[in-house]
Amino acid sequence: MKTGIFICHCGHNIKHTVDVKKLSEYFRHYPNVVVSEDYVFVCSEPGQDMIRESIEKEGLDRVIIASCTPSLHGEMFKDVLKKSDLNPFLLRRVSIREHCSWIGDDVEKNTEKAKRLILAGLYSAAHYVPLEEKIVDVKKSALIVGGGVSGLSAAVFLSRMGMQVYLVEKEAELGGHVRVLKNIWPSGRDGKDIIDEMVKELEGRRNVELFTSTAISSFEGFFGNYEVTLDTPVGEKKLTAGGVIIAIGFSPFDPGTKPELNYGKDKRIITTLDFERNADALQLPENPRVAILHCIGSRDEQIGKPYCSRVCCVNALRVGDAIKNRYGDSYVESFYMDVRAHPRGGEEYFEDTQEKGVLFTRANVAEIMPMPTGVMIRGEDTLFGETFEREFDLVVLSIGMSPPADSKLIASLFKVTLDKDKFFLEAHIKLRPFDTAVKGIFIAGSCSGPKDVEESINHGRASAVKLFGFLNLGYAYVDPFIAHVDPKRCSGCRMCEQACVAKAIKYDEAQRVVHVEDAACMGCGLCNATCPSSAISLKGYIDCMIDDEISAFLEAI
Amino acid sequence: MLTQTSHKALVCIQCGKCTGSCPESGKTPFNIRALVRKKQFGSGITEGIPWYCTSCGACTIRCPRDVKPSEVIIEMRSAFIENGTVPLAIQKALENTFVQKNPWGRSRNKRAAWTEKVDFEVPHVSETESKRLLFVCCIQAYDPRCMVIPVNVANILNKAGFEFGILGEEEACCGNEIRRIGETGLFEELQEENAANLREYGVKEIVALSPHCMNVLKKEYGDLGIKVSHYTEALWPLIEEGSFKTTRPCPKKVIYHDPCFLGKQNNIFDQPRNILRSIEDLELLEFSRSRETSLCCEGGGGRMFFEVETTYQRNAEVRVLEAAEKGADLIATACPFCVMTIEDPATEKGLIVKELSEIIMEVL
Repeated sequence: MKTGIFICHCGHNIKHTVDVKKLSEYFRHYPNVVVSEDYVFVCSEPGQDMIRESIEKEGLDRVIIASCTPSLHGEMFKDVLKKSDLNPFLLRRVSIREHCSWIGDDVEKNTEKAKRLILAGLYSAAHYVPLEEKIVDVKKSALIVGGGVSGLSAAVFLSRMGMQVYLVEKEAELGGHVRVLKNIWPSGRDGKDIIDEMVKELEGRRNVELFTSTAISSFEGFFGNYEVTLDTPVGEKKLTAGGVIIAIGFSPFDPGTKPELNYGKDKRIITTLDFERNADALQLPENPRVAILHCIGSRDEQIGKPYCSRVCCVNALRVGDAIKNRYGDSYVESFYMDVRAHPRGGEEYFEDTQEKGVLFTRANVAEIMPMPTGVMIRGEDTLFGETFEREFDLVVLSIGMSPPADSKLIASLFKVTLDKDKFFLEAHIKLRPFDTAVKGIFIAGSCSGPKDVEESINHGRASAVKLFGFLNLGYAYVDPFIAHVDPKRCSGCRMCEQACVAKAIKYDEAQRVVHVEDAACMGCGLCNATCPSSAISLKGYIDCMIDDEISAFLEAI
Repeated sequence: MLTQTSHKALVCIQCGKCTGSCPESGKTPFNIRALVRKKQFGSGITEGIPWYCTSCGACTIRCPRDVKPSEVIIEMRSAFIENGTVPLAIQKALENTFVQKNPWGRSRNKRAAWTEKVDFEVPHVSETESKRLLFVCCIQAYDPRCMVIPVNVANILNKAGFEFGILGEEEACCGNEIRRIGETGLFEELQEENAANLREYGVKEIVALSPHCMNVLKKEYGDLGIKVSHYTEALWPLIEEGSFKTTRPCPKKVIYHDPCFLGKQNNIFDQPRNILRSIEDLELLEFSRSRETSLCCEGGGGRMFFEVETTYQRNAEVRVLEAAEKGADLIATACPFCVMTIEDPATEKGLIVKELSEIIMEVL
């Protein structure tokens, strides 16, 4: 074995608290180490050249780079090995910056720790074997679940890129909630126009199939080749999709679940959505008194909705604006906890609404009481510190977004996860906000948390772009870190089969052992940990590597 | 320098839902939101203020951040109790409870005196087959106005063939009010005494006569493994299945007042109403504020034992005025405290207040 160790100064970042010279000197005399160098910036061009030259000259078969966190420059250093015809999985990164030099100022202790970290890398790398990324064929087709504004946006993008699109909507009509919205802020467009435009484009494409009044009855297979069965009004339909975008939207909060609001018991108490549908049919006097209540079904732990729904403040402003525009002589009072008009232009819109005469009272209204003469609102003006009871002709509840009613059903069908509020959970809130933990299944729009129309459209398009990137070549690389079953040790107990979330483990009835479908395996390690016979190991992460790393930290040197 | 307290009050967003829901806001100096704000900063609380709280629970039920403002009040009261700065009447009630196990200081030996008025012998719970306990409550065991309630309920349940027993003199105050007054130590003593008896006699079920006792036995005694219900919950199924029947009509307009500890705090809204509706010719009326939005009678949280300083229109009077306006012949309720508080202004207006069992006894 010929190992090369390259220790980075990272300018002063590592060097100022770690004695890098001492480290490189120490490992130079270590068994199986043929190169041990320190360098000011290993990631720089000359630094990379140094590694390449060492590999080619000394015939290295292991490369250890002790520098910053492995997530930085990972692909770049792999490429260095590839260019020198060395398998990139023979590279070991050791973090002596984030895990060491940045933590303390004691040079002696830091150097000792860095030594141990590098030693652990050295021991572990001894078990490395060359691994190959696999290539699997993928279908250039997408299943989009949900025909609201987000799903439609995704469908439009994918269809324009020539991908086969299957869009499934459970309702008879496409467009979701956006279809009923009028005068969407800030563009002023009607929701119906936005929807009709997208639907028209999709209907004109040969590579798009739209299924309305349709449910998904089964979902099988793995990334690149998902097998889907649809239950359509004209019977069952089977199809294969390379990937999926879940865009099932949200459910409007039902204020009937909060008894003190008396919603549903008096027609003068309505929601913003009711207002949207029936603004023209409201029978109001010429100088109406209208109350608008923010945060209905949001920021409320008593109903298990601690989150802000993000759209209701602007909706409340829209209602106030609309009333003021229609009835110049009206009295409009908006009751808020905080006004969160966060989208661009929102704060200005808030100010415009105030200028038009809408009054803002800081109060989380306690009770709404229908009276013969009007609807009475009881609460505390928290800025005056005084309680009030005021009568209005109309009370509009600015309702928030609840998770879609069938989120649990869809989540279990696709084996994806929901968050604590029952919205769909992304794989990583910052780095993978469109992905789920299942490869090739994405989420879009308000099913992953409250979003406005603009955000839902953007989210749909972004997920579509990500999915397109996965499927466009018609083939895909699969990480080599997948589970491997030793058939000699497998007892056929099939416990791993139940543990596997990716459905990658298949049982061979004839041999009475399991094997792993490489393309489906996500390398999560669950089967590995479950197996009572230790018959399963994860390529690239075998047990003895970890054992040896631990001994590197503990042994006397 | 203000010090930060590690407390649930810190997550309060001062939205005012509690104050708007509070039956004492506006007309008294009590502002629950402002008190929570003071708690956040650990600043001083004016002595008399926390004693306005009636423990109706509306703030805690509705608080969007689950701060539990009514519990914050209990903590404030505890601090005053520690310092000995407590209204005299409250102090007296606590001493009485310590000595005689009831806030009125009546002799413990007479706790079962009401059983003499029952037309059958009420057994001790240990002698029953069902090990079902009727928990009587202090005010109903001693107060001349309320003593009729256990008598009635015992007769009604007996007539329905529903077996039960009592603890008699061994029953101690449940401690619901004591805990809310802030005397945690005394509450724990009462709780231990009652729980020890429940264990000793192998009690399997408790039917409480007062919503206040039911609340504390059900929610604040820890897990006893005992089913706790209010007597209206036990009675309604008996009427429904036909084990108990009223025979005479009651051609009256009856308006039902939801007790806070039965209604909004324990969601028992329908059983008392169903019982009333089952009576022939009885017309049931509703207050504009009923069920979850019922207006507190101001009898809870220690308010039975002392008068607050401010004079203002009492909620009981508001209730009576509305009942009169709606043309009610009588106000019905299912809690001894509500009976006591509402009866005063009702008598002034010539209206009758009856506990549910009193109405049933009239139509047997």
